[in-house]
Amino acid sequence: MMKRLALSAALLLACGELQAHDFWIEPSTFHPLPGTVVRVGLRVGQNFIGDAVPRYSDGIAQFYIRQDGKDEPIEGADGGDPAGFLRASGEATAVIAYRSAGSPITLPAAEFEAYLHQYGLERVIAERAKRGESGKSGQERFYRYAKALLAGAKSSPDNKSSPDNKPAPAPSRPLGLDYEIVPDDDPAAHLGPLRGRVLYQGKPLAGALVVATPRDQPTGALRVRSDDQGAFSFALPRGGVWLITSVHMVRASFFSTEDWDSLWASLTFDRPGPPQ
Amino acid sequence: MTLLKAFVVTVALLCASLLEAHEIGTTQVRLTLHRDNTWTAYIVTAPQTLANKLEAEANEPRTSGLTQDQLHAELERFLPALARHIEVRFDDVPSPATVSISELQVVNDLTIPDFVELRAGGAMPAQAKTVSWRYDLTYATYALQLADSDDAEPETHWLQGDVRSRPFPIAANNPPPSHVDIAWQYLQLGFKHIVPEGLDHILFVLGIFLLTTKLKPILVQVTAFTIAHSVTLGLTMYGIVSLSSRIVEPMIALSIAYVAIENILTARLTPWRPAVVFGFGLLHGMGFAGALTELNLPRQEIIPALISFNIGIELAQLTVIATAYFGVAMWIQNKPWYRTRFVIPASALIAATGLFWTVQRIFDF
Repeated sequence: MMKRLALSAALLLACGELQAHDFWIEPSTFHPLPGTVVRVGLRVGQNFIGDAVPRYSDGIAQFYIRQDGKDEPIEGADGGDPAGFLRASGEATAVIAYRSAGSPITLPAAEFEAYLHQYGLERVIAERAKRGESGKSGQERFYRYAKALLAGAKSSPDNKSSPDNKPAPAPSRPLGLDYEIVPDDDPAAHLGPLRGRVLYQGKPLAGALVVATPRDQPTGALRVRSDDQGAFSFALPRGGVWLITSVHMVRASFFSTEDWDSLWASLTFDRPGPPQ
Repeated sequence: MTLLKAFVVTVALLCASLLEAHEIGTTQVRLTLHRDNTWTAYIVTAPQTLANKLEAEANEPRTSGLTQDQLHAELERFLPALARHIEVRFDDVPSPATVSISELQVVNDLTIPDFVELRAGGAMPAQAKTVSWRYDLTYATYALQLADSDDAEPETHWLQGDVRSRPFPIAANNPPPSHVDIAWQYLQLGFKHIVPEGLDHILFVLGIFLLTTKLKPILVQVTAFTIAHSVTLGLTMYGIVSLSSRIVEPMIALSIAYVAIENILTARLTPWRPAVVFGFGLLHGMGFAGALTELNLPRQEIIPALISFNIGIELAQLTVIATAYFGVAMWIQNKPWYRTRFVIPASALIAATGLFWTVQRIFDF
């Protein structure tokens, strides 16, 4: 019991100085008019307060927008913030995607365990204990898989101009990222609960912690676990900009110089409805 | 794993090591230690984000779109709280900071970034040996430029987000060690890395020795091994080559098994044995480098440290061989049963250990 208390205390102390942070895409607008140039910022932080991450080509594996059925690279200048610019078609909901090349990091044991705890990675805590690594520093390579949705004119829930007026399907189609949050519908247009799946290498991942954070009230973040089909559901209580995040961690491959690979998925969008 | 596969993987890893990338943000810090026993730090960062972090900490609503004057007033209000996020420690004792805003620029121009420059300062104990830094209001990787005296060239250290830096020695209060001190220190380190800490390297050297007690074959093998591990030790230290320890460590274990098994199959120096020992020496050199790289050697100390570390390793190897020879072989090498009752059982034991380590290191149990 004392041991457990001591561990909990150590975790709590370490929580004050966590070095693991969320990553997301923050466009200059989530509702671009046709032809608008959108500035695409990358952010690293917590509680939806993020430091700008300027563009660094060597760190980017993919950075593009899928709009009107086509993929277009997002251009920008190295060292620049925002990291990229795009011209929005403003038609249906478009998906911005970013995949990082992976960065190594080593954290002291207590801080690593605290971060695993915070992100719901108890499975990794147990595996480290099984391997006798609980007291060892955590060596990992982290990969970012961020997406953001840009609503278009056809995405508006008020749009009744066409009989085949359905929410754009693009956000509900997986992009093929190694770890990905895929909504069942278009949350930039859909007014109901947010339902979706978390996919790891294209397959549903059960038991993943998924967190939904509203920008206007980040302390009111919602947390759920994905079910056996990798599905999750949030009854988002307000409109406005939301950040959905999830972290998955796997043992690094035999040839890796790190012990673990962490995969950070995020999805940002502006949900219709009053901010409350 | 075939040799070809091992080669392909090695090349891939070497290329991959050139592609390391961190999430570098826009915050920059310049920390200077002064002769009058004070320190100053200039922190340049994004002002609105900084205000939001402090507002969130105070459970206040987040502001946005503030003008330069409004933002100045907002940050002024939080200066005492901000000071608590700047942690300068001398010999691990914190030095309380006072903070002021030295410059603030907020313009509505995409090409000119907004920034605030904070000036922090405090007292520095006389004769402090080390200084460490932490600024926990940033999440991205940033550069800390540290000048440990007024006229010192600042050194750049990259820090991960809100992590505390390691303690940096303050040159003025740490007389540099002499070359003799450095050489002695690393010679000891090299020796200890083999005896007693490097049981796998000891078994490899014993495997070399057990082939034959004749001087020439031992000299040929030890020379090949020494040249090879010296080469990769140096190249690894300078970051020219790098190979995952997950590959190096099982291969080292396999090399132990190889020399021991060959000892069982033959009692003479085969033409390929020196080449194989040379190849394994390359791997052992990378293993040796691990002990040195962990020390984060200052660049000017790398060469004397490398040389003396290597000498320490050679002395340890010779110690192992001398102990084996004078302790055992000298007394029984001429017995008719020397090979059947000593060399082969001892080699079998070494081979079994090497194979066990190989499996253990591959499957990580």
